[in-house]
Amino acid sequence: MPREISFFDAYVPTLLLTMLLAGAITLLADRLLVRLGWYELVWHPALFRVSLFACIAAGLGLSIYA
Amino acid sequence: MSSPTSPAPLPPGIGQQLREAAVDWGQNELPNWIYVFKMVLAGLLALGIGYGLNLESPRSALITVFIVMQPQSGMILSKSFYRVIGTLVGSVAIVLLVGLFAQTPELFLLASAAWIGLCTFGSAHNRNFRSYGFVLSGYTVALIGLPAALHPAVTFDAIMNRVTAITLGILCAAVVSALILPQASAPGLIRIIRARFTAFVDLISNTLGGSSDRQQLEAANTRFIGDIIGLEALRSTAIFEDPEVRLRSGRLTRMNSEFMALSTRMHALHQLMNRLHEANTPAAQLVIATISPYFREVQPLLTRDTGEPVMSAVDAADAALKLERYKQELPRRMRATRSAQGTALSDEALLDFDTAAELLYRVIDELHAYTLTYASLVQRHHAREQWDHSYAPKTSAVIAAVAGARAAITLIALSAFWILSGWPSGDVAALNAAAFCAITSASPDPARATRAVTIGVAGAVVLGYLYTFHILPRLDGFWMLAAALAPVLMMAVLMTTKPKLAGYGLGICIFFPFLAVPDNLITFNAAGYLNEAVALMGSLIVTTVSFMLLLPPTTNWTVKHLEKRLRKQVVEACYGKLAHLALQFESGTRDLMHQITMVTSSRPALRQTALGWMFATLEIGHAIIELRTELHGIRSGNPGLLPPAAYQALDGLRQTVPALFEQPGPATLAAALQANDVAIRAIQHAIGPHYRERSERHRLQRSLSYLHFIRTALLDTRSPLHPLRAASDVNSVPRAHGAPHAA
Repeated sequence: MPREISFFDAYVPTLLLTMLLAGAITLLADRLLVRLGWYELVWHPALFRVSLFACIAAGLGLSIYA
Repeated sequence: MSSPTSPAPLPPGIGQQLREAAVDWGQNELPNWIYVFKMVLAGLLALGIGYGLNLESPRSALITVFIVMQPQSGMILSKSFYRVIGTLVGSVAIVLLVGLFAQTPELFLLASAAWIGLCTFGSAHNRNFRSYGFVLSGYTVALIGLPAALHPAVTFDAIMNRVTAITLGILCAAVVSALILPQASAPGLIRIIRARFTAFVDLISNTLGGSSDRQQLEAANTRFIGDIIGLEALRSTAIFEDPEVRLRSGRLTRMNSEFMALSTRMHALHQLMNRLHEANTPAAQLVIATISPYFREVQPLLTRDTGEPVMSAVDAADAALKLERYKQELPRRMRATRSAQGTALSDEALLDFDTAAELLYRVIDELHAYTLTYASLVQRHHAREQWDHSYAPKTSAVIAAVAGARAAITLIALSAFWILSGWPSGDVAALNAAAFCAITSASPDPARATRAVTIGVAGAVVLGYLYTFHILPRLDGFWMLAAALAPVLMMAVLMTTKPKLAGYGLGICIFFPFLAVPDNLITFNAAGYLNEAVALMGSLIVTTVSFMLLLPPTTNWTVKHLEKRLRKQVVEACYGKLAHLALQFESGTRDLMHQITMVTSSRPALRQTALGWMFATLEIGHAIIELRTELHGIRSGNPGLLPPAAYQALDGLRQTVPALFEQPGPATLAAALQANDVAIRAIQHAIGPHYRERSERHRLQRSLSYLHFIRTALLDTRSPLHPLRAASDVNSVPRAHGAPHAA
């Protein structure tokens, strides 16, 4: 994967785009987990959500840089 | 809290007192302190990351944290979503403006003023998440646009740098407040719902028991309006935060709508009974005596077997069952009573009885629906969740436009002064005035807020001077800086949690970092600092003055305008599309009243008049919507039920009532009353004495009772319409032809 993508002639770091993608994925996963009642088992839902986002973003980031 | 170590010399009870004081502190002060620590932590975190990333001006991140903080409600990750979008939209606007007008500062400033006016309008017009987006968009343009336009060559880099800083601030504030000791809004939601249900049960018991006077009722209704708006606001934030709330979101909205319908109906019934009590004729007494036993049966339905009132959602399920049984029996019993008393009651009294019976049935019906929805909240999924009529609170467009124009004019005036005088710090002044207009745009009384902030800024200027030139030179590294900043920031944030000091605190929070926190490349320039400070004070004073002079929201004009809009609701009720009309009418009317309440906090007399208009609007508008729904059913089902003359009479009513509410005056009132009388007679004539099928008769009877209710509302001695009628009676407008139902 290229590390920068030309976006209307401006170089945008691919990482930024993957962050946005990770945010969208987290949002979808969050909806799904709500439906499944997952958050009843979670102590700190907000912390869980941020961690989920961090995991997804890191996973996607590794696919670029590793 | 520490306990006393040597108990012997203490007088008895001091340990107890200490413990009580500790509990009191824990309940009242502890949340504020947690909030203070969280905000300062978020701010310093943003500042630290900003220095770490080598941003040009990390203090923007710190300032942004204080701009987005909100003491009242817990902040949520998703709120920041709208703010980031607002920032991005703002930065795109800057690129566009700089690209178009970089050569001509006059045009650039005009365009910026227009943009900031637009954002102020948007933020004042919307009162939910969108409002934050608009605030941040305007703020971004103000903060970045002017410096960028002064150096067009580096615009893009400067914008990227600042946008990063602002986004960093937003994200730090959101993450810290969501992750560290989050303050959930769900418990508040449950508390409001429960308190409201209990309060309403009380109100029903009192009203139907006949022991509540108008003042109490008005106070209760004002409180309910605040509750309705507050619940909606809380719901819209809590769905982002709590998945359990999101699953119930539809039911919560539904409950709010059902509650509005119910309280309007309840009020109508109460007004009708009040008018009967006041009439004090034997016929009225007879009607009261006939219907009162039914009223007394309602309260036990809302009481548990143990005698306590229904509180929780679980109890509500029980109450709903009881209500349903009662509702099914009610029409039959009413018919029995009616035929037993029928001979004793005159025509007029019979009409009163029918209207009251109809209203009571509807109250029970709506109470049943409301209780069912309340009971359904216990379950995660429920059929009642299907409810798609959303309620989006919007501030009056005219008033929001005034706010927008005010911001634009302020900015134009300051920029004009800057360009004409060649003032070196003019950009700072213009920038701050614009940013400040954007920040205060949603405040109900911006002039007062700005005044307090200006005084806060004066404090910030003095503190900032001491910091920059006496403390900062001795500091080394970020941690020292953070340690030195923390006390001032904590004090300022703590001030914002106290309503009386909030404005001063906000001024220090925002402008102390602006003056005292160094950029990545520190420059010490005392003359420059003083110039900036003077520019800052000057711009805030100009902003305050313009907020005070240019149609501030607290003037009588605003209240009159809102009152007019309130009356316009009746026109909407007469001509709007029938689908969802009742709901829109209910929420729109209450929302307007809420806006009036916000701007009349210091003038109870104005609020009283507005409240009178709200009740008149609600009663008559609601009755008209019901009447229209009934007529729609008749027209589409069985158009022959009513003769053409009756349709004509009803059309006449539909023209005269909006005319009355658009221009209240003796003539329009007399016309509306006359049209109403004509319609009543036409329908009475259509019902006739001869036999009709029960459902048909019932339909006509219902229409008749709506008309009768409109009549009693028009004749109400406490409504703001009454003075008009008194005037028209003096002018002896003939109204004799209503003989069969003259009160």
